[in-house]
Amino acid sequence: VSARSAGRPATGLESVLGAIARTAAHLCEATDAAIHLLEGDCHRLVAVHGRWLARGQRLGATYAMRSDTPIDRAVLERRPVHVRDLRAVARTRFPGLVQLGLYNDRVRTILVLPLLRDGAALGGIIIRRTRVRPFTRKQIALLETFADQAAVAIENARLSQDLEARNRELSEALEQQRATAEILGVISRSQTALQPVLDAVAENAARVCGATDGTIRLVDGGAQKLAAHFGPAAHTADSLPLDRGSSSGRAIVERQPVHIHDVLAVDAAEFPISRSLQALSGDRTILAVPLLREGEAIGAILIRRQQVRPFTDREIALLQTFADQAVIAIENVRLFTEVQARNRALTEALEQQTATSEILRAISSSPTDVRPILDTITERAARLCHALFSSVYRFDGQQIDMVAQYNYPAPALEVSRRFFPTPPTRGLFTGRAILERAVVSVPDIALDAEYVAPRDLLHDAGFRSVLSVPMLRDGEPVGAITVWGAGVSAFSDREVALLQTFADQAVIAIENVRLFTELQSRNRALTEALEQQTATSEILKVISSSPTDTQPVFEAIIRNAVRLCGALHGGVWRYDGDIADIAAHYNISADELQNYRRFFPRPIREDPAHQATHSGRTLEIPDVEQFEGLLPDTRERWRARGVRSALLVPMRREAEIIGSIGVTHREVGAFSPGRVELLKTFADQAVIAIENARLFSELRQRTGELSRSVDQLRALGEVGQAVSSTLDLDAVLQAIVTRAAQLASSRGVSIWEYDELTEVFHLRMTNVLDPEVAEILKVSSIRKGEGAIGRAALTRAPVQIPDVSLPGAYEGPLRAALLRAGGGSVLTLPLLHEDRILGGLTVSRRATGEFPPDLVSLLTAFAAQSAIALANARLFRELEAKSHELEVASRHKSQFLANMSHELRTPLNAILGYGELIVDGIYGEVPDRMREVLERVDASGRHLLGLINDVLDLSKIEAGQLVLTLAEYSMKEIVETVVASLDALAIEKGLILAVEMAPDLPTGRGDQRRLLQVLLNLVGNAIKFTEEGGVGVEVGVVGPAFEISVRDTGPGIAPADQERIFEEFQQADTSTTRPKGGTGLGLAIARRIVGLHGGRLWVESVPGEGATFRFSVPVRVDRQAPVFPSETL
Amino acid sequence: VSRRILVVDDHPDNRRILRDLLGSAGFEILESTTGEEAVTQAQATVPDLILMDIQLPGIDGYEATRRIKASEALRHIPLIVVTSYALSGDDAKALAAGADGYVAKPFSPRVMLAKVREYLK
Repeated sequence: VSARSAGRPATGLESVLGAIARTAAHLCEATDAAIHLLEGDCHRLVAVHGRWLARGQRLGATYAMRSDTPIDRAVLERRPVHVRDLRAVARTRFPGLVQLGLYNDRVRTILVLPLLRDGAALGGIIIRRTRVRPFTRKQIALLETFADQAAVAIENARLSQDLEARNRELSEALEQQRATAEILGVISRSQTALQPVLDAVAENAARVCGATDGTIRLVDGGAQKLAAHFGPAAHTADSLPLDRGSSSGRAIVERQPVHIHDVLAVDAAEFPISRSLQALSGDRTILAVPLLREGEAIGAILIRRQQVRPFTDREIALLQTFADQAVIAIENVRLFTEVQARNRALTEALEQQTATSEILRAISSSPTDVRPILDTITERAARLCHALFSSVYRFDGQQIDMVAQYNYPAPALEVSRRFFPTPPTRGLFTGRAILERAVVSVPDIALDAEYVAPRDLLHDAGFRSVLSVPMLRDGEPVGAITVWGAGVSAFSDREVALLQTFADQAVIAIENVRLFTELQSRNRALTEALEQQTATSEILKVISSSPTDTQPVFEAIIRNAVRLCGALHGGVWRYDGDIADIAAHYNISADELQNYRRFFPRPIREDPAHQATHSGRTLEIPDVEQFEGLLPDTRERWRARGVRSALLVPMRREAEIIGSIGVTHREVGAFSPGRVELLKTFADQAVIAIENARLFSELRQRTGELSRSVDQLRALGEVGQAVSSTLDLDAVLQAIVTRAAQLASSRGVSIWEYDELTEVFHLRMTNVLDPEVAEILKVSSIRKGEGAIGRAALTRAPVQIPDVSLPGAYEGPLRAALLRAGGGSVLTLPLLHEDRILGGLTVSRRATGEFPPDLVSLLTAFAAQSAIALANARLFRELEAKSHELEVASRHKSQFLANMSHELRTPLNAILGYGELIVDGIYGEVPDRMREVLERVDASGRHLLGLINDVLDLSKIEAGQLVLTLAEYSMKEIVETVVASLDALAIEKGLILAVEMAPDLPTGRGDQRRLLQVLLNLVGNAIKFTEEGGVGVEVGVVGPAFEISVRDTGPGIAPADQERIFEEFQQADTSTTRPKGGTGLGLAIARRIVGLHGGRLWVESVPGEGATFRFSVPVRVDRQAPVFPSETL
Repeated sequence: VSRRILVVDDHPDNRRILRDLLGSAGFEILESTTGEEAVTQAQATVPDLILMDIQLPGIDGYEATRRIKASEALRHIPLIVVTSYALSGDDAKALAAGADGYVAKPFSPRVMLAKVREYLK
């Protein structure tokens, strides 16, 4: 049973298992039996025997695996589960049965065996009894056998299933392979034709994918066009729009497969085209796959089914493969076509290349000559067009001429020679081609009505057909190529094309030659220009390198002129006044030059050739032998040298002809304008050089003059500075002599001083080195009016002696010295100051002749400086003597004053001393009347003492001997001291002495004693001159200074007196002040003391309204101010 | 014991005034008429105060002052130069020579007496 059933195909597994269940139940004496198969995590009831099924249970039911049913346990534990009485243990051991509703309380004894294969459980077999009767060992063993059989059956069934699937896969793959192979075969068979490939793809796609039909659409313009179709007569359009309305359109647009499971199920708006087509074709399932080439959709492949059966993933993949193959095929064909086309083009090109290479070679090998090219062309044309002979013609717009021929038979050649050149006519094939600018092909000349040549020529020369192609340049005919055929036959298109190529080449060749010729002539012109340029630049270089010397320039010019003119020799001539001379030459031998020198320089008027150029004309001598105006010596020289022609052009500077330049030639002939122009260019350059040199030397001269002036000015400046900066007369005169000698290039400059008393000049300074000459000068005394110096002093003007050695020129006392020094010239200048003669300046030079005016004026300036120096020195001497005298006098005066004051004090000491002692009663009782007189004596004595002190102070100030004792002081203290001293006096006069002082006066620095003296003087004066009212003293600080004012209510001071009162021994009104006493020196001294402090003292007053004296002194005086009488007075 | 004052002056009136002034004030007066004599007398008598005139025959007052002040025995004696106020720098010269004070001529006998008393305190 088992073996057979196990061998059955898988489909019969259930019946096999059913048989096993049945047999097992029967042989094991069980009520019923069942078999479960394990499938993943579940087991399925696959076979039952007996009254197995519970209510609701059916065959094929599956149960999730668990552990609390007998079958689950057997399978899990891979061992038999034998239950003696299920009723007894069901609820405790197998609750799953109850939960699953499979528990039947009539079932008592059960046996479950796992179905094992290679140790793995495949399922379980279960047998049951309704009575409690455990299965015997034998029965258990028996069930094990059935379990094994079931396992084998299951295994077999599974293997069989696998095999079948594999088989199916293989056959499908095979089919695909076959399909692909077929397609590839088609592809390889039809490389150029795409259609068979697409047809094969469509067919195989439909067949392999089990579709009703297969369609390929390709993008063409803006639409998808039907490219191939396989299947029943398709209800499909040839062209569909390229949009999402159709499955193929959408596949193309979206570049991805479009799979419609059921056309009828999709929205009509979604696929309107597919839907409308469906109505005709009855399609249900559609698959469209795009044909993608490098990411771009070039079409789509479409398969359809008429029933709803979606394509499997495999089928979709398969269709994509077919799509790829279609793309490959399309690409292949495209490439193939391209390659073929390219190949064809290359082949053609190669052919032509080959055919024309020789012509091109000819063109390149003879760029200047068109003939060899045309010869080659005729030969190639005849050969490649299979012609008898051939010819090339040129057309110049009027006439046709045959310029090359190949293989012409003698009769034809003869006719042609007779015929050409000729205007183009239709009677000639060539003429016709040129006139029509088109190919003329005549298969049979005999039938050509217009042909004009003798008919028998056809026979004699053996030709019947002709082909003529015009040679066109820019559409204009420039000639033609004609080939003549032997038989009656038309020339092929290829031959026409070839001949056209030849025509083109001929045109190129002709054009080339023309261009080449043009280029060459242009090149020649450029070369010449370049040479000229080079020559010019060389000359310019020479000009710039020798700006002062024209000689190298002339030589460069004539060298280049001869070279560029291709001349024999040449020369540059200078015209100086009416004399002509050769200035530079080229290619003239030494002997020749000697010959020239025998005749030149010579007057221009004696030489007709130079006379011509001197008058501004260019002299052209085309033939020396025919020219009359040559001097014999010139003709002789030229003959000797082989000169046959000559050209002489003038060198013109503005209106003046300053020379000429000439070249000679061996050849007879006129000179071209270009040649004359060239020589003129050289002449111009020569003029430039001359002009340059002239300007340069002018510049140099001017520069020289300027630098000389600068030197002179500098010398004068130095001398002036010496005069003003030093009182050392010798130093000044030394400087004058040295600089004058330098500037005048003099060997001897001397300064003489005039003694007004004796009226004699004595040497004061000289730079003469020669001891003997110097000795003569030193001992000489020149009287006024004598010699040059004496004369200059009299006339008060420069005296020149251009040549001392000339008899009678100079008879002065220095004649011997001058002659000893070598004679030469002398210039003498008087030294005058404020019209007084101070002396003389003599300058002698070795050279004879007058001194240049600018030098005379320069030396005059030196003389003036010398005079100033002498005058200064004199003045200084006088001043020094005077000041010395004054100093002595002043010293005497000071001493006198000091002595006087001492001498005056001694008796005063006695007068004042005794007076005080008497008053103080040292010598006894003093009567009142006497006491009064004694007090008057005392007062007079003190006044006299004050007078003496003031005079002494003043004299000290004037002598600059008053020295301030600078120290810290208190202004407040000064004021208080003054008040203390004078308050009593004020009170005595009934006056109020009021003081107003700013608080916190700063500590001052100055001479306290002297400032006290000033304030005492001012306040004392105020009290003295005020009869009623009072005196006010105000002290304050204004800026960095104390300001003190002393105001009184006295008579005031008239404006006229307001300054005078500060002068010595002055009081405002002598009549009114006399009774007031006082020395009149106080204010003068006060003002001076304030001045020494760097301050000032002044008065403000309106007569009748009192006066205010003010003074201000810096709070801090660190240095005594210098005192100038004019400032302080 | 009366204090002794050496008066140096070549002028008789000047000596008389000082003699009358200081004598009446109770001082003992010694007199010299030249610088040399003053130095000798100072050494001989060692007075309590010296009044020195500058304008003297022979060595002048400065020199005499210098010599007195150069003597160890006399250095302590106060020496007042009686100088012409007029001559510039006389006061400074006197102090430089070693004098202790000076009084300008012409002097007030009252002022002179006050000065002498001050130096003898």
